[in-house]
Amino acid sequence: MSKLVLIIEDNRENYYLMRYLLEHHGLRVIGADSGWMGIEMAIYNKPDIILLDIQLPEMDGYSVARRIRSNPEIKDIPIVAVTSYAMMGDKEHALAAGANAYIEKPINPDSFADEILEYLEDFRSDDEDPVR
Amino acid sequence: MRISAVNTKGFASAQRAGFPFRQVFSVLVLLFAFSLLSAKDHIIRVGIYHNPPKVFVDEHGNPAGIFVDIIEEIARSEGWSLGWYPGSWEENLRLLSSGELDLMPDVAFNEERAELYDFHQSPVLVSWSQLFSRKDLRIRTYTDLDGLVIAVLKNSVQESILEEVVSGLGINSRFLRLDSFDEVLDSVEDKDADLAATSVFFGRMNAKEHRLVESPLIFNPSNLYFASPKGKNQDLLSAIDRHLELMKSDSESVYFSSLQHWTPEARRWELPTWILISIILLGMTLAITIAGSIILRRQVLLRTNELRQTNQEMELRIEDRTEELGFALRQAQVADMLKSAFLATMSHELRTPLNSIIGFTGILLQKLPGEINPEQEKMLKIIQTSSRHLLSLINDVLDISKIEAGQLELRLSDVNLQATLEKVIGLVSLQAEEKELDLKLEMMTRNVFIKVDQRRFEQVLLNLLSNAIKFTDKGSVTLISEKKENTLRITVKDSGIGIPEDKLDALFMPFQQIDTGLNRKYEGTGLGLSISQKLIRLMGGDITLESKINQGSSFHICLPLDQEKHDE
Repeated sequence: MSKLVLIIEDNRENYYLMRYLLEHHGLRVIGADSGWMGIEMAIYNKPDIILLDIQLPEMDGYSVARRIRSNPEIKDIPIVAVTSYAMMGDKEHALAAGANAYIEKPINPDSFADEILEYLEDFRSDDEDPVR
Repeated sequence: MRISAVNTKGFASAQRAGFPFRQVFSVLVLLFAFSLLSAKDHIIRVGIYHNPPKVFVDEHGNPAGIFVDIIEEIARSEGWSLGWYPGSWEENLRLLSSGELDLMPDVAFNEERAELYDFHQSPVLVSWSQLFSRKDLRIRTYTDLDGLVIAVLKNSVQESILEEVVSGLGINSRFLRLDSFDEVLDSVEDKDADLAATSVFFGRMNAKEHRLVESPLIFNPSNLYFASPKGKNQDLLSAIDRHLELMKSDSESVYFSSLQHWTPEARRWELPTWILISIILLGMTLAITIAGSIILRRQVLLRTNELRQTNQEMELRIEDRTEELGFALRQAQVADMLKSAFLATMSHELRTPLNSIIGFTGILLQKLPGEINPEQEKMLKIIQTSSRHLLSLINDVLDISKIEAGQLELRLSDVNLQATLEKVIGLVSLQAEEKELDLKLEMMTRNVFIKVDQRRFEQVLLNLLSNAIKFTDKGSVTLISEKKENTLRITVKDSGIGIPEDKLDALFMPFQQIDTGLNRKYEGTGLGLSISQKLIRLMGGDITLESKINQGSSFHICLPLDQEKHDE
């Protein structure tokens, strides 16, 4: 069963771009356009990785990350923050809020999917290890 | 014996009780006996009766008074010996007329007496009688005596004169006749009488004690003399006169000192001068001290108030300033926040569309949606290059904005110099190959680690290297690493077109490009160099430039080396 990616992103084009690339690399993709929706979908679908846009309307990305981390049902899912990397401390902020890694926008279409696959490999939880 | 007769009788009538008669008597007896023994000496027998302060015997039994002082002084001068015979007034007068006394003091001259006694010329004292009244009575004229009781000595001159005056003026007054002047004064004090008639001397001497005051009613002026038995002691009397004249003209004489001593009127309670002066000086000193202290205190108060006011004003001002500063600070903070928000928003806003452009162009070029023909591929590549270029321009603009806004944060770390230089060489090698340029790396340093922001440092190196490659058409681009004392110098040397001297400084200014007429070829916002310099400066170093037209340029990055770290 191929891995499931949850993308929490409010910009339609960005979502389309990321989804297209990932699906063409064999991943399943679901999306939410708000923090609330994202958390609900995470709880319901238990994705293998969450791509989280930091600049979300209403609840900002950092808060979403924190909520995910504090929810026992979904706290172990790896989070990759997608940021514009504009200001000082953006990266630290994201990591402090609970993200495992980050990617800068605009993304590189040639390497994006590979990066995500790598993160899936690095951060996967033990009970998914096929060797066991 | 005469003496015993005199003693017993005289004292009984004239003296108060408690007087040491016996002792006085013995002394006088001895004196007299002594005088008799030295038969040759002439003793002058002087009578004494009780009329202080003119003549009396004091509590020690000694003769005292004004007349006594005078006659004793005269006796001293003349070498006389005096014998004192106390007795009553009448007794002594009788003795005088019979020649048993030589002198009697305090005798007022009148015609009758002139028959009986001899007087000297110059009076010893002038005396008069005076009425002394109760303190509350205001006696101004004789008519004020109407309805009042006057105390007098029995059979005295005061008695007779006053009786005449009173009847003559038709005043209705009563007389209280007493046996002694003391009783006279007492009676007024005891309120049995309203007024007392005594001699001025006696009255003044005792008025205060008896709480009496002098009234202005005086009468019976008389001159008082020493009297002597008729026809006898002419020599004495002349001697007395002689001395009196001398004494009265000498203010320092016994005459005046005795008067002063015995007359309380003159003897008002006076402070000795020196005490008075001391008190005045003390008073003045005290006054000055107090005044001084008051003035000082006032000054201090004023000063304190001034200071307090100044203090308050200062504090108000300080409060104002603090408020102003606080306001300015808040404004600056708000400005900063706005700048940050602006930059964050701009960054986000600008990158978002680029995300799509770059992303989808990439997807298309990867042929994921399907095949594309060569023409499409070519065009898409152009779009991709342009969009990457646009992205780098946006990054530059955002970088310089951040630096200017103080928002750029450097992430310093220990960076392996050799590895970094090799990395960037690798990144531009393709670019250099395309122009068939020689790309060289000369490491003249070993095992150097520098404390820099790795990403930014690489950014600067790449900027300089691609500029060098861009502006060199043939020859080489060399990356050199050298160390001079505590400074690391990295040079990007090219054999390119060079930069004219007058344009060297301007090169690092934002938006400057040298105008070579080849602008189209060397596109860029011209921000790169200015950002690079600012970044290196933020890292503690600087970028400098050497160049010669047509010979090439050398860009030097100088960085301080605090510590050297050696790669084990």
